[in-house]
Amino acid sequence: MVLESEIVFIVDLLAIFAIYLIVNLSLNMEFGYAGIPNFGKVLAVGAGAFVAAAIPGRIFANIAGIEGDYIENNLAIVSEINIWLVDNTGIGFIVFFLTLGIAAAVGGGLGLLTAYPAIRLRGDYLAISLLAFGESIRIIGNNFTPLVGGTLGVQVPDPLSFLPGELRFPIATIGLILIAIVVYVFSEKMIRSPLGRMLRAVRDNEVAAESLGKNTTQIRIKIIMVSAALAAIAGALYAFYVGGTIAIAYDRASWTFWPFLMILIGGLANNKGVLIGTLLFVTLRKFIIFFKDSFQEYVPFDVVWLDFLLLGIILLAVLLYRPQGIFIEKPTPTITLNGKKEQPGLKKIFNFFFK
Amino acid sequence: MALDPIFSDAIIFASLLALLSIGLTLTYLTTRVPNFAHASFATIGVYIALVASRVWESTPYIAIPIAFVISGIVAVALYTFILKPLIRKGASQAIQMVATLAFDLIIIAILNIFADYIINTYQVTSREFTLRSYDVEFMGLPLIVFAAPITIAILAITLHIMLRKTKFGIAMRAATENSDLSGIVGINVKLIFRISWFLGGGIAGIAGALMSLWFQGDPNLGPLLIPSVFAASIVGGFFSIYGAIAGGILVGLTEVLGTRFLAGEFGSWLIAYRPLIPLVFIVVTLLLAPRGLAGINWSRLRRHGSRI
Repeated sequence: MVLESEIVFIVDLLAIFAIYLIVNLSLNMEFGYAGIPNFGKVLAVGAGAFVAAAIPGRIFANIAGIEGDYIENNLAIVSEINIWLVDNTGIGFIVFFLTLGIAAAVGGGLGLLTAYPAIRLRGDYLAISLLAFGESIRIIGNNFTPLVGGTLGVQVPDPLSFLPGELRFPIATIGLILIAIVVYVFSEKMIRSPLGRMLRAVRDNEVAAESLGKNTTQIRIKIIMVSAALAAIAGALYAFYVGGTIAIAYDRASWTFWPFLMILIGGLANNKGVLIGTLLFVTLRKFIIFFKDSFQEYVPFDVVWLDFLLLGIILLAVLLYRPQGIFIEKPTPTITLNGKKEQPGLKKIFNFFFK
Repeated sequence: MALDPIFSDAIIFASLLALLSIGLTLTYLTTRVPNFAHASFATIGVYIALVASRVWESTPYIAIPIAFVISGIVAVALYTFILKPLIRKGASQAIQMVATLAFDLIIIAILNIFADYIINTYQVTSREFTLRSYDVEFMGLPLIVFAAPITIAILAITLHIMLRKTKFGIAMRAATENSDLSGIVGINVKLIFRISWFLGGGIAGIAGALMSLWFQGDPNLGPLLIPSVFAASIVGGFFSIYGAIAGGILVGLTEVLGTRFLAGEFGSWLIAYRPLIPLVFIVVTLLLAPRGLAGINWSRLRRHGSRI
């Protein structure tokens, strides 16, 4: 069975959509609902990808008893691991979810670390320090070879390697979409919870929220950590999906600027808007890349820059002429304390994070 | 005169940061929005210097006034067509920051297109180029080593006189303190803000034109420089031009000489981590003196110094 090129196109589009959706939902929590302009989103995403690049491969190599320096002989080791994983699918999945957990923990920790110095100050100081921290992830990844192999990058073992070649990407995409749905439900539930209400209160009037006895600093740190953890999971998933990590891919445009663009097009503080914005942007981008080569001969420069120019102008136009985006923020109905029964699973996650 | 090139590096980089930081402060004072596109105004200056030396075959120093005007106009365009309408519509500071990021992206895209155009039309290297060979020698050193600090001195004195002694400067300070009130007493706030942005962008352009004579030029310089520029401004306190100069010199010297010193102590692998130094500055300043050098009450510190 050979897949049609249209199906490959759609499968890839949906996978990228799912990953960006997680990043954007996490950014929307911070920027839309809590009003924290996180210009260092790339830090958490990159951290997640670096965790996926550095940790699972070494664990697998240890368990399977594969010798050699993980970074230097990366290609050989990872292909050996992938062959080994065909017979050890269970361990593969355990380590996969363990990696996601580690990525979330590292992301959350970095969120705390980077937000702490500026969280009590004005918003622009926070934005500047987060942006500066965001730049650092690429520098560290590029130069500290044991992490992600420096400028050469590393391969990431594929827990789905037991699948036949043509089914691997479609199945991975379905998995990604399922995870994205979980994150979407989580985000919707969180916004309707008392915590979500408090976030909006802090965003709209910090002094008033403080006067009612809310600890605004703590809530902002908390939301930065949760959202960084989610973004790190997205980063790790991306690394697993593509099957490799290279530090240079984690630049400000791809993982900070595009997410801002998507949530602003879709509508701030509205998860439905985020969904539509992400879908629109990812599709547009995919088509631009698809038709780039046929366009190249007509212009005397690299078409990539036309793409940047176009997207920058679109964002400015949205900001100037439709600042609320496609969907405007609507009043969110809150979950009552003893009304409808929630699924216990979600509640457990809830209590784990916020109580 | 023999001088270790690292000192020239330090002097020029510190001057560059001080210039960029002055410009950033001038624009920040008016609209209270940190302009993330600021460092790319300098990249425009770099490209004007490239055109002046490689296409027009004249000295890169001729680019300084041209860069001042063009970068200034770009900055005014950012203020007039994007930030001012946003402010009028009541957009939050965060949205204004996103807008400057978008503007930065547009400038970078245009510069890249321009770079491709120069390669194709004039067969001139327009990425990772250096114009060092176009500099003239002065007392055994490239002229730029003297020109950069002298430019800061001239600008600092001019700005000081302008802000403190002239009617325009007083109006400008009034407009940045309280724009509504100064509008009432008949100051043309819009014009003042526009001139502030022109000066801010223009000074960044000068910095870029000077920088091209020593450092490598590239269309994507802006994002690389911006953490250092913000570190310098935060160290300086963001509200004071003198603070900006001090912050720029401090961060610039530490970045170059500090890296060299640490690399000597611990090994040359450290050099690659030089971009992390501005981060340390940002964190330390925000934790210890969030209002920067200009926010510290120096005379009080002197008086009570013995007690602390």
